[in-house]
Amino acid sequence: MHRKGWWVVAALMLALGLTLVTGPTMAADEFKIGVITSLSGDLATGGSVTKRGYDLWAKAVNAQGGIEIKGKKYPVRLIYGDDQSQPAQAASAAERLAAQEKVDAILGPYASGTTLAAAPVLEKYKIPMITGSAESPLIWKQKFRYTFGTIPPVNFTGSAAIKVLAALPQGPKTAVIYGTNDTFSKATAEAFQSTAEQVGIKVLRFNILPPKQDMTPLMSAAKVLNPDLIAFGGHDEELINLVKVLTQINFTPKALIMHYGVTEPAFAQALGKNANEVLGASVWTGSLPTKGTLGWPTAKAYADAAVAEYPKDPADYTQAASSAAGLVFQAALSQLAVAPPLDEAARTKLVEVLEKIDLQTFYGHVKFATEGDYYHSNAGLTPLMVQITGGKEAVVAPADSAQAKLVYPMTPWDKR
Amino acid sequence: MRGLPAWLWILLVIAGVGLVPVVMTDAFFLRLFTEALMWIGLAITWDLMAGYVGYLNFGHGVSFGVGAYATALLIVNAGWPFEPAAALGGVAAGLVALISGWPTLRLRGAYFAIGTWALNRAVMQLALVLDITGGADGMRLPAFLRPQFFSWVMLGVVGATFLVLWLLLEQAPFGLKLKAIREDESGSLAIGLNPAKLKLQAYVLSAVPAGIIGGVYAYWITFIDPASTLGDLVTDQAVVMAIFGGLGTLIGPVIGALLLFAFKTYFWAYLSDYQVLYLIILGLAIAATVFFLPDGFWGTVTRRREGRRALQKGMALAHFPEK
Amino acid sequence: MLILLPQAIVDGILLGGIYLTVAMGFSLAYGVLHVIDFAVGEWIMLGAFVGLTFTNWFHLDPLLSLPVVFVIFAAVGWMLQPLLQRVLSGSRGRPVLMALVFTFGLALAFRGSALTVFGIFTHSLNTALSQGSWHVNWGSFFLTIPLIRLAGLVYALAVIVVLNYLLKKTDFGLAVRAVAQHKEAAGLMGVDIKRTSAAVYGLYVGISAMTGVFIGAIVSLNASMGPDLSLFAFFVVVLAGMGYLSGVPWASFLLGLIQSFFLIYLNPSYVLLALFTILYGILLISPTGMFRKGV
Repeated sequence: MHRKGWWVVAALMLALGLTLVTGPTMAADEFKIGVITSLSGDLATGGSVTKRGYDLWAKAVNAQGGIEIKGKKYPVRLIYGDDQSQPAQAASAAERLAAQEKVDAILGPYASGTTLAAAPVLEKYKIPMITGSAESPLIWKQKFRYTFGTIPPVNFTGSAAIKVLAALPQGPKTAVIYGTNDTFSKATAEAFQSTAEQVGIKVLRFNILPPKQDMTPLMSAAKVLNPDLIAFGGHDEELINLVKVLTQINFTPKALIMHYGVTEPAFAQALGKNANEVLGASVWTGSLPTKGTLGWPTAKAYADAAVAEYPKDPADYTQAASSAAGLVFQAALSQLAVAPPLDEAARTKLVEVLEKIDLQTFYGHVKFATEGDYYHSNAGLTPLMVQITGGKEAVVAPADSAQAKLVYPMTPWDKR
Repeated sequence: MRGLPAWLWILLVIAGVGLVPVVMTDAFFLRLFTEALMWIGLAITWDLMAGYVGYLNFGHGVSFGVGAYATALLIVNAGWPFEPAAALGGVAAGLVALISGWPTLRLRGAYFAIGTWALNRAVMQLALVLDITGGADGMRLPAFLRPQFFSWVMLGVVGATFLVLWLLLEQAPFGLKLKAIREDESGSLAIGLNPAKLKLQAYVLSAVPAGIIGGVYAYWITFIDPASTLGDLVTDQAVVMAIFGGLGTLIGPVIGALLLFAFKTYFWAYLSDYQVLYLIILGLAIAATVFFLPDGFWGTVTRRREGRRALQKGMALAHFPEK
Repeated sequence: MLILLPQAIVDGILLGGIYLTVAMGFSLAYGVLHVIDFAVGEWIMLGAFVGLTFTNWFHLDPLLSLPVVFVIFAAVGWMLQPLLQRVLSGSRGRPVLMALVFTFGLALAFRGSALTVFGIFTHSLNTALSQGSWHVNWGSFFLTIPLIRLAGLVYALAVIVVLNYLLKKTDFGLAVRAVAQHKEAAGLMGVDIKRTSAAVYGLYVGISAMTGVFIGAIVSLNASMGPDLSLFAFFVVVLAGMGYLSGVPWASFLLGLIQSFFLIYLNPSYVLLALFTILYGILLISPTGMFRKGV
């Protein structure tokens, strides 16, 4: 009786295998660039940002006809692999893009965990990957030869903002710092904390919280301590919740700094006027006086192009870094001057080209470190401090990039 | 053909499946092959508790996660080689099941389900706050990327699990005893069974293979963190796969796992732009299966065949009445 | 830090109030219909989004959308219940498990639909009460009570009072309690089981949807918020004892107070670990809920 079951099982396995294994494609008129990012799952909000960045670049480079190699232009085709916000799927996507689709290069994931799972697979296939997003310092400590990042690690960006605050005439002297227990948010909070201690701000409370924890009791306790600064590392939902708690208990610190997520339109939309004067850290905004030798000539040109394509989602630094990752590949592939499809030797050579790349883009200067703790990440950027002004992000430090004056201390919630 | 004992049949099938990685060496295919086997293993071990004993273990992911972390810790911190580390991962999962099972199995029905869910969440929080597990950053294992190796290892583990469960559940009285508990636990006492001991045995038996599978997973993916190994996803998928296939049999969850895995992978590979649609379709498919086919695909097929056979027998008797 | 004690207690009770809103409808559904609705979080989420849509269309305060949300979702629940009933009364399989998985499927479908229609971002419902709070300052004694959280608690208690009245003092309530106790006997006594069951389910869905509006106002809302809410609904109800409606407020406040005290006086990193361990421990000691009155 169970024998029939086995035939069903066998048939299913065979069908599964055959439908999903496609033969190798022989087209050599284009560069196939794989993209691994979170198109679904918990991190989809971030993944969609990287997707926009990568798509914008592909569109722009194809509008010119593609990447020029020895007089012939090769358009770029992006092939997506959804990591579903899980490491196992990231590894699977990497394997599929490498073994099945035989891509020439990969644009990398939004999150650090997924990057850590995909990287070893790409080391095996020797396919270079540049990620426009993953910010955990842990990635660079692993010293993956084939993985690069256009974004500096979060401890680099976060610390600068605290230093700016400390330097203000009536700057904060005390702080309460919290972070959510995930790779990125934890690193952010720890960066805030260590810098604060460095510059002489007394950290009254520091803790790492479970994700999506209700912070009312914590903020009630903070209100009693009356810190000048509240710093928080978390994701979009948690940032919104924190501001709501603070407005509900009517406690306005002199400064409230959070990191990624304040620049999302959803933040200002959800909070209205309470989003204003919140501080964030960044490495790029559309108003930076950068000049690009490849692709978009200025930051503003990119910001305008981005808004034209995605009216509801103005470009933030992750999107810019993602597009910049594409530009880096563009420059490197041109320099390599090998027509697609790239074989293993060509790809290995591509890594060498990437290590020597020194590119000025609308996003800023891209030069990958080749040793040390920030191996293969782009530590050459200037960290910026942004403040939400009139519902939009504005650079307030350093002075030569400032678009608006830093508002400090914050206007109390009930006086807005 | 008919003369072959069932266990030999199973061995032959496993051996046959084992030839697949020899023939199809494409790395991506093998990755899918390995993952499909993993889900089969998780689905059948979950079905042991749910289908045979009648206890819904929403903490099945604990065994998987404990196995994964134990293996990772042994490989990374103690320098153990993979095979013994994974084996010990299974032992660790079994120990956790033994210790937690003794009090937890006193709970019934919904209380057991939610109690095991609470345990799962507690263990995940533990992994998040401990330093040794790396907390939210997870753990990285040394990369040993050989697709064939993992295909065979996973096949070996899951195949052996299936065989052992088959022997214990379908051949030996153990399966019948468990089903007796499922049908009427207090009544089973009356016929001389010891439900507490049997339940615990089943609970540990479902935990050990899941733990080994977790250990293999860790070495295979090279990166583990609390969300991916101790989150709800592992248990949820195993539950849905077992239900799709049909509870209370061993082949049912195998078929359910393959169907769901195929569907999921197809969507992911070719329709990733419509991933949200996947959720909707999956949800409706699950609801529809429960509604129209409460025995799962395989369960309905077997029932129909049983029904037909009973009908045939009845009609045969009607033609040749006893004299 | 004794100075924070009153605030810790108040914050804990208000947090418990949120749990109460999430769990009370669910407890009713289980107590009467014996159905574990895995989609309770999704009902709450959908209610929040309908509230958001209503607010955006008519530019009215979100709290004014409450009656509309209730009516819409009560109707949806009423229509859906017969399907659920068919699953529950199946002769094959295990009805409890089947209903669980059925509602789990529904939850996935709802979540996917919400993601498709409303997207992945987080929203907030802003009401007139959103920023107000009561401050008590008496020497060194102080208390801050956010109005919107207090409103949530008031809403929860009001619903409990209304439900209590409904169940104990009306004919409908009598029918409901009869169905809860013994369905077949109730049917024999002349109770229309189908309509009563559908009404109870509709009531539960309507209440849960209204809860969504409050959660959107107190915290925030997004399409993926369902599972965490379902988790707390289950835990509260199991802690109270399944089907024991009167135990739900106590269990809710207990969970809220444990969290609040942990966050203020102990190490916040371990708060959820402690919570789940305590829940697990209480279940082991008292398998039918903390009052031992569960079914």
